[in-house]
Amino acid sequence: MLSIENLKAKIDEKEILKGLNLNIKPGEVHAIMGPNGSGKSTLSNILSGKKGYEVNGNIKFEGENLLELETEERAHKGIFLAFQYPLEIPGVNTNTFLKTSINAIKKARGEKELDAIEFLKLIKQKSSELKFDQAILNRQLNVGFSGGEKKKNEILQMSILDPKLSILDETDSGLDIDALRIVSEGVNSLRNKNNSFLIITHYQRLLDYIKPDFVHLLKNGQIIKSGNFELAKELEKVGYENFN
Amino acid sequence: MENQIKSNFEKVISKLSFTNAQKEIKEKNIDNFLKKGFPTKRLEDWKFSDLKQIISNNFEDLNFLNENNTELKKDEIIEDLEANKLIFVNGVLFNVDFKYENLEKIEIEKNADLNEEVNQNALLNLNSAFVSNYIKVTIKTGYQFKKPLVMYNYLTEELNSSGINTRLDLDLENNVELDIVNVSNKSSNKNFLNFRQKINIGQNSILKNYSLDTNQTESIKYTHKEINLSKNSHLEYFILSTGSKFLKHDINCSLNSEYGSISLNGIINLNNDQHHEIKTVINHNEENCKSYQLIKSVLNDDSKGVYQGKIFVDPKAQKTDGYQLSRALLLNESVEFNAKPELEIYADDVKCSHGSTSGNIDENSIFYLMSRGLSYSDSKKLLTNGFLNEVIEKITNENIKNFVKKTTGIEV
Amino acid sequence: MTTKKQEFKMDSRQKEIENLKDYKYGFSTDIENIRAPKGLSEEVIKFISKIKKEPEWMLNFRLKAFERFKQLKEPNWQKPKYPKIDYQDLYYYSAPKSMKDKPKSLDELDPKLLETYKKLGIPLQEQARLNGIAVDAVFDSVSVATTFKEELTKQGIIFCSMSEAIQKHSELVKKYLGTVIPTTDHFFATLNSAVFTDGSFVYIPEGVKCPMELSTYFRINASETGQFERTLIIADKGSYVSYLEGCTAPMRDENQLHAANVELIALDDAEIKYSTVQNWYPGDKDGKGGIYNFVTKRGLCKGKNSKISWTQVETGSAITWKYPSCILKGDNSVGEFYSIAITNNHQKADTGTKMIHLGKNTKSKIISKGISAGQSDMMYRGLVDISSKADNSRNFTQCDSLLMGNKCGAHTIPYIKNKNLKSNIEHEATTSKISDEQLYYCNQRGLNQEEAVSLIVNGFCKEVLQQLPMEFAVEAQKLVGISLEGSVG
Repeated sequence: MLSIENLKAKIDEKEILKGLNLNIKPGEVHAIMGPNGSGKSTLSNILSGKKGYEVNGNIKFEGENLLELETEERAHKGIFLAFQYPLEIPGVNTNTFLKTSINAIKKARGEKELDAIEFLKLIKQKSSELKFDQAILNRQLNVGFSGGEKKKNEILQMSILDPKLSILDETDSGLDIDALRIVSEGVNSLRNKNNSFLIITHYQRLLDYIKPDFVHLLKNGQIIKSGNFELAKELEKVGYENFN
Repeated sequence: MENQIKSNFEKVISKLSFTNAQKEIKEKNIDNFLKKGFPTKRLEDWKFSDLKQIISNNFEDLNFLNENNTELKKDEIIEDLEANKLIFVNGVLFNVDFKYENLEKIEIEKNADLNEEVNQNALLNLNSAFVSNYIKVTIKTGYQFKKPLVMYNYLTEELNSSGINTRLDLDLENNVELDIVNVSNKSSNKNFLNFRQKINIGQNSILKNYSLDTNQTESIKYTHKEINLSKNSHLEYFILSTGSKFLKHDINCSLNSEYGSISLNGIINLNNDQHHEIKTVINHNEENCKSYQLIKSVLNDDSKGVYQGKIFVDPKAQKTDGYQLSRALLLNESVEFNAKPELEIYADDVKCSHGSTSGNIDENSIFYLMSRGLSYSDSKKLLTNGFLNEVIEKITNENIKNFVKKTTGIEV
Repeated sequence: MTTKKQEFKMDSRQKEIENLKDYKYGFSTDIENIRAPKGLSEEVIKFISKIKKEPEWMLNFRLKAFERFKQLKEPNWQKPKYPKIDYQDLYYYSAPKSMKDKPKSLDELDPKLLETYKKLGIPLQEQARLNGIAVDAVFDSVSVATTFKEELTKQGIIFCSMSEAIQKHSELVKKYLGTVIPTTDHFFATLNSAVFTDGSFVYIPEGVKCPMELSTYFRINASETGQFERTLIIADKGSYVSYLEGCTAPMRDENQLHAANVELIALDDAEIKYSTVQNWYPGDKDGKGGIYNFVTKRGLCKGKNSKISWTQVETGSAITWKYPSCILKGDNSVGEFYSIAITNNHQKADTGTKMIHLGKNTKSKIISKGISAGQSDMMYRGLVDISSKADNSRNFTQCDSLLMGNKCGAHTIPYIKNKNLKSNIEHEATTSKISDEQLYYCNQRGLNQEEAVSLIVNGFCKEVLQQLPMEFAVEAQKLVGISLEGSVG
């Protein structure tokens, strides 16, 4: 589904990713762990097409050259990024935002757009599946949301937009244990043989709830070690500095 | 009145020995002033304070001839503050005292030549026409003052219905630190004062300017300051405006290079029929500069307060951070407060905001204090002092902060 | 991939409009006109008055204004400057020939006129009934059609053209016309008093809540023509009315002057809600052509507990210069001003409001959202004046500006005057931009740049959009998006 070959990225002349390789097949859950400044967030930004990076290397998503696509085109193809810091957009209702977003994607895919009733039905179904309180959907997008509410909102958006590849950028940061469990259950309920996940995290605790198929250690802009869930435990035990 | 000003001017020109070039500049200025006269409320900048009317209400005639035969009563100088002094008597430089400082680092020119083109501001024209000793002070690179500099404007008892014009330019070279206090004495006579200052703040230099109008005077006063800030320099400006009958602070600051910053804070606290105005213009001409303004007014009796503040952001001045807040308390039914907080912005990546409130003291707070045993007037005073204290707390020179607290009686 | 724009082009009926690129109302209609002789003189005023069969008092009203006008100087304190207007080089009256003897019903209207309004999306016939909005359409200088008249008449509501009102409801017009904007007011208002040609008249009788939205659409069609319409709305005791105004004009290279006067009067316990969506032709990308929109709008809360609320969405015109105001004379009266102003390319706007508090316990609220893009210039100018008699009065003002790009300007000048210690004024203003991070977030959710901008800007304007009647709100939201197209690259 996704193959990254020798990915290098610079921002303001500073090299952050220095030749990264990664392959994700449909249905797989990969976790990328690494210390602060190792390039984790850069990777998620480059996958979703944030501007401002000088990028070299190859990224193929379902056979297509991802680097040639605009951010919104990647979203149309099924890439979803759950932001580490979801943005506040004053005055815009979360419902309105979601409806605009889902219809933009459906339109790009040549599917029929949802009318108001179908949309309401969909979010009602999704939020009850995820056990989220629908009330936040009537509030302005992320404005005045607690950290936990913002992250739950990201997961709800993920479930409604039904992406092929979901990237979770430090989704666990700032979550208490209950919110962490709810978010993880949400992610787990979306796992199936077609959908893939890339989970970026500093800590192992999220991975206790979302068991990844593969764990990669990112350090100094490269994946220096890959393994299964056991690697995550090991990392947590001995610390990043002891891996070279 | 115009005729008298004209004949005064002719006498000044003939009596003092100016070069022809100087005479020419002065003549252009007086012509300009006579053409425009004292500003009226039809001018946008004077919309809320009609100086022409104020002048004609207070003076039959104004005498601009300065007789320099005056003496200073020593005991009137503020002695509570250890400081260097520049003393002006009736607008003329009388005494220079930098006893705490290294004199090699301070340069004073006492009769500088006017050399600028003619200004559009009629009061500056008037100033240039009449100013007799134009002073320039330069502080050399790297010098940090040990004690503040007090600029003391003393008016003698005999002075009456006179027009006084002073001009002082101050040049802080790079890495200079200086604190200035502007003060004047009590006086019961009516005079018109027109003080002009032009200040340059060099790279990495810090100027703190405390402009204290605390002594009761019947003066009608206009102060014009033009302050230019270089890279990484800082200006702290504080106004305490409570003493004069009429006073307009006209403060124009330009942030001309990166990383300059301004903190401008002021208090207007008036009684009787006093009328004070603070007018500020902050020009953000380059990137990454900050300006912060906080002006609070308390109006009693029949007084009138005005705040006009403008933040201008040039297209080049990205990452500007500009803030302006004016709050006024109206404590009597015949007071008036006018505000015109203005933003003019041509760059998009900026953070600029202003706020303005005016109204009465919160009756719930008074009720709360009274329920704790305070009288109505004590409650009011406590709340007013608390309101103003926030501005005084912005003063970073502790000695001066304490001095201001003592003079105003504001202790919270 | 099929984009929205390509689909748009498929539609052949829309094709000619699409050819006109950005301003979709930019067509002109080929209709024969009757015009007054060019220029401004007593004769022209008499001509207008005569052709409109006006009573003598009306002619005198005009002539008095004209006398005053001759003594006035054109103001120049406003920020947007414009080339000098030659007032002798304008036509002051232009009417479609077929209107000379006014048609009795819509069926008798010139089909070309009907077609014009259809293109504008203003249904004068059958659709009007479906939408339940009563419409008065003003074409150049005259009112061409008023719908729903009979239904309104049953309740005693008068909704007709100004010309008709002057003839049929002379006493009401005489009593109120010029009481809020006197003939001696400023330059453009006085000019209007002298030469106004038509407009709408509304009277809501005591205790009546007008059952439907009343709406007027203004259209400038003829070239070299100034449009000077006059609207007068009177809400008698305890009545309520919601009034909508929309405007468009064809694309022409020269600038056209629009100087309307709108007077609102609310008596005891009455409420008037006045909404405008102004989309006059703004000129082309280089700033050529476009309407000068110099309008005087003033409402008088004459009675106690009365309320006047202005809502405006200003996206058109080369220069907009207007301050819909409220004079809060009655005790407990309320004034509101909600505004969205958008300028793009070379447009200039100097707009805001005046809230004059005279009565006790009067309240006013100002919410202004200004958006500037391209090389445009946007100015909020407002006055809040609380007099010494207006005890316990209150104003709240919120002025927000959004800048898009680095060649435009945003200017905020509030004048705040408080002479009453029992009254409070609060003013807040901010200036900001759409952050790249916000755009990225929306892009990541599948929205393209323009959709993202439109969404964020609509969010920025939400407090004002909410004030608009439903039918207008949808239109206004689209307009907000269209006006900013191409402004973020």
